Amino acid sequence: MKEETSNNSRRKFLKSFGISVGAAGVVSSFSLIGAAKAAAKKPAEMVNLLTQDGQLVQVDKNQLRPTVNEPLDELQKRGREGIPGKSFVMVIDLSKCRNARKCMSACQNHHQLRADQHHINVLQMQDADHTAPYFMPKPCQHCDNPPCTKVCPVDATFKRQDGIVLIDNERCIGCRFCIAACPYSARIFQWTEPKDAEKYKDLTYNIEANVPQKKGTVSKCLFSADRLREDKLPSCVSACPNGVYYFGDRNEDAVTNGTSGETVRFSKLIEDNAGYTLMEELGTKPRVYYLPPKNRAFEFNGDLLNEENLH
Amino acid sequence: MKNTIKNIAALFLIFIFSGSLANAQGWTVPNSAKKKQNPYEATSKNVSTGKKIYNLHCKSCHGDPTIANMLPLAPVAPTDLGAQNFLVQSDGEIYYKVNKGQGAMPTFEKTISDEDKWMVIAFLRSFDKNKKVKQQVAEVKNPEVTDVKLELNVNEANKTLLAKLSGVTKKGKRVGLQGIEMSFLVKRSFGYLDVSGEDPYTNEKGDVKVQFPADLPGDREGQVNMLVKVTDDDFYGKLEEARVVTLGVPTDPVNPLDERAMWGTRANAPIWIIVTFVGGVLAIWSVIFLVLFQMIKLPKLAKSKD
Repeated sequence: MKEETSNNSRRKFLKSFGISVGAAGVVSSFSLIGAAKAAAKKPAEMVNLLTQDGQLVQVDKNQLRPTVNEPLDELQKRGREGIPGKSFVMVIDLSKCRNARKCMSACQNHHQLRADQHHINVLQMQDADHTAPYFMPKPCQHCDNPPCTKVCPVDATFKRQDGIVLIDNERCIGCRFCIAACPYSARIFQWTEPKDAEKYKDLTYNIEANVPQKKGTVSKCLFSADRLREDKLPSCVSACPNGVYYFGDRNEDAVTNGTSGETVRFSKLIEDNAGYTLMEELGTKPRVYYLPPKNRAFEFNGDLLNEENLH
Repeated sequence: MKNTIKNIAALFLIFIFSGSLANAQGWTVPNSAKKKQNPYEATSKNVSTGKKIYNLHCKSCHGDPTIANMLPLAPVAPTDLGAQNFLVQSDGEIYYKVNKGQGAMPTFEKTISDEDKWMVIAFLRSFDKNKKVKQQVAEVKNPEVTDVKLELNVNEANKTLLAKLSGVTKKGKRVGLQGIEMSFLVKRSFGYLDVSGEDPYTNEKGDVKVQFPADLPGDREGQVNMLVKVTDDDFYGKLEEARVVTLGVPTDPVNPLDERAMWGTRANAPIWIIVTFVGGVLAIWSVIFLVLFQMIKLPKLAKSKD
């Protein structure tokens, strides 16, 4: 009798053990199933990778996932502090912009945005009836007196010591006060599940690139703060084929052109070309400077009849 | 069936390609423009200036001349500008095409000065096998040397930099190398700022003196990272000297978070906002509590009256 009970309990134990091991197996294999599903979707694109032991293997591109090495705490901390001693500025030369829109696609690619979401947008401008129309890329102005951070009730959007205005999706409650406060319409709201939400759901949140994006939060241009940490120019700046963008450090009085790589004096560039900022009458003190669209080397090929395009 | 579809697709592709090729070749240049000659001589000075401008404005698409590492653009990839079949064109033809542009090739009519464009053409001509003999005009001939050295002297009082380029001749004598362009570069966050000035060529002693800009910011101590090099590696290989010099204006970076401001987060809020807010909250709650205490007192008051 006694033996039977012990037998029983052993059986029970084995059963439950089996179930739990099985469950663990199922859980762990979910990722494999996911990968297999992804592979089944589009099996065509294979990428050659070198493994640690020096073997060349072919891996399906769909199975590759971006990785983040730093823990969330570290990313949040350094993202809030910024890069000491820097004061980043951007100069946009309107006389060179011909609506190539490479900046927009590079930005959307970097920040995991859909094609209709813009951290930077190239607008068609006509200031008055008989003035010449021109194209104007418009990122966040990273104001030195930002109206958006004033209204945030939860300290989610803030300015750091290098001048960049960031947004923290971990804190954002989606009230959209900042969108209402921004005079430049630089912010967007994630109304629906972001692009590739499923693909990036396990990725550690990086405040400096604001990825992965989160439904129900605000997103904005960040001057590609994660790239600046590696001494790289922002995505839009390096993607421009027409030499529109200059980016640099105002403390060093130098800005570098993203296309030609030429470094020039910031103060001289602004002085020689009568650089200006947008809506300076509001006292927002933007960090994005514009050079007027004079002496253009191409014809304006925009569509001003389409009301959607007018700004 | 499948094969026929493939064939049709292939034919279609060929058709598109031939169309785009025809388009590329159909770049008509007026005869008057073709006759233009480069007004600048192909001196080594002009060629190296041209190379600099080429690297700034042309290289990103066309790649290095003769290497054919251009950007693989579709449908028409940029031409290798050092290839012989490109250089059969006259100076005027190239000048016209640079000015006008076509398709993905932008116009440079207003973005590059005429002088700079001719320098680029002079640089491209240096790859022309047919004209190689002609371009050896008015060049300074340096003796054949070995052990080329670059020395850098910094005068911090006058903010001047003196570079000396010298090599050892076959007779074992160290001589200065003349007419070589030097670059004086200051490291900035995303690139090097050129402070070489107008005429950074070595004189007959091999010296070149450059005035450092008086108002260029350095770090807190005024230090900047300086890189001095021979602009063109083709002459004597890679010759450069990197040094930290104290020539910049000492600059203390301002941290905008040091001051309290309306736009600051909770930690940086202005004192008057904190005082007003906390005071307001305290005042409201104290009024509420006052009323509550009075209400508690009411029954006691009623009893004592009885």
